[in-house]
Amino acid sequence: MEILAWLETTAVANTIRTVPWIYPTLETAHYFGLALLVGGILLTDLRLLGFARSLPLKSMLGLLRFVWAGFAINVVSGSLIFIYGAAQFAGNPAFRLKMVLMLLAGINALIFTRAAAGAGDRWIASGQVPPSIKVVATASVILWLGVVTAGRWMAYV
Amino acid sequence: MAFLEWLQTTRPALFVAETLWAYPLFETLHTIGMTLLVGSLGLVNLRVLGFKRDLPIVGTLDFLPLAWLGFTLNLLSGLALFSSDAVYFWSSITFRIKLTLILLGGINAFLLGQSVFREARAGGTAAAGPGMRLVAASSLLFWLGAIAAGRLIAYLP
Repeated sequence: MEILAWLETTAVANTIRTVPWIYPTLETAHYFGLALLVGGILLTDLRLLGFARSLPLKSMLGLLRFVWAGFAINVVSGSLIFIYGAAQFAGNPAFRLKMVLMLLAGINALIFTRAAAGAGDRWIASGQVPPSIKVVATASVILWLGVVTAGRWMAYV
Repeated sequence: MAFLEWLQTTRPALFVAETLWAYPLFETLHTIGMTLLVGSLGLVNLRVLGFKRDLPIVGTLDFLPLAWLGFTLNLLSGLALFSSDAVYFWSSITFRIKLTLILLGGINAFLLGQSVFREARAGGTAAAGPGMRLVAASSLLFWLGAIAAGRLIAYLP
């Protein structure tokens, strides 16, 4: 765990520690990213599950651009926050759970891509979502709400 | 102030303040509600601003029930969090700014919804006028501002 201790002594960590407005700004950026990332994913999942049927499936799947933007914002802001308190975060059970859930959500997204391709393109055009895709969308909702929940509990465990 | 002092000594308020898991639970619900509210209103706003033109503009309003769900969740969880430390929150300028931004965001969402429905009845679909775009842009700023103010309550007076 030397690397964790080292991270906390880097110039980046020291800057975050000594300049008072940086940490709150990173947290705020992390919440903007959260709204984009999880907001976009939930809307897409809900459309797959049958909500908002007047929105074409193909166009809704195009929301993934916004999701990626939110993901990028949160990888950067999250990494910087982590560097600042690496040892403490790495030992935090809620943080570990959050990382595991994000990993599972990532695997779930890969499964979605494969299942979507496996079902052919026709289901997207017809709007008939196969049950397998609905299962993946449900898992996605649960996993991402889990990520948000674990993130919020980090300050309390 | 007497009311706020009374409020934070009521049984539900004491429960939130003193039960280990209650405060983080309501914070979690508040974050999830934020994602639903800002995610779904954000989609409407971005569409009005000209992003995702392949989505029917009226169709984006299909997600309004989700925005209401998020709003209700956050009104209730916000009240629970507020009551646990009412005097402190009310004395915070940042908190008051947050409430103001939510009020402005709410008025904006109402105006936007009305004009989108009017467009729909008039048979218009594709382009939004400059007035609507202005409302959508300010709406995004208000909601992002509300998120930022919420994050900064702990750091600013």
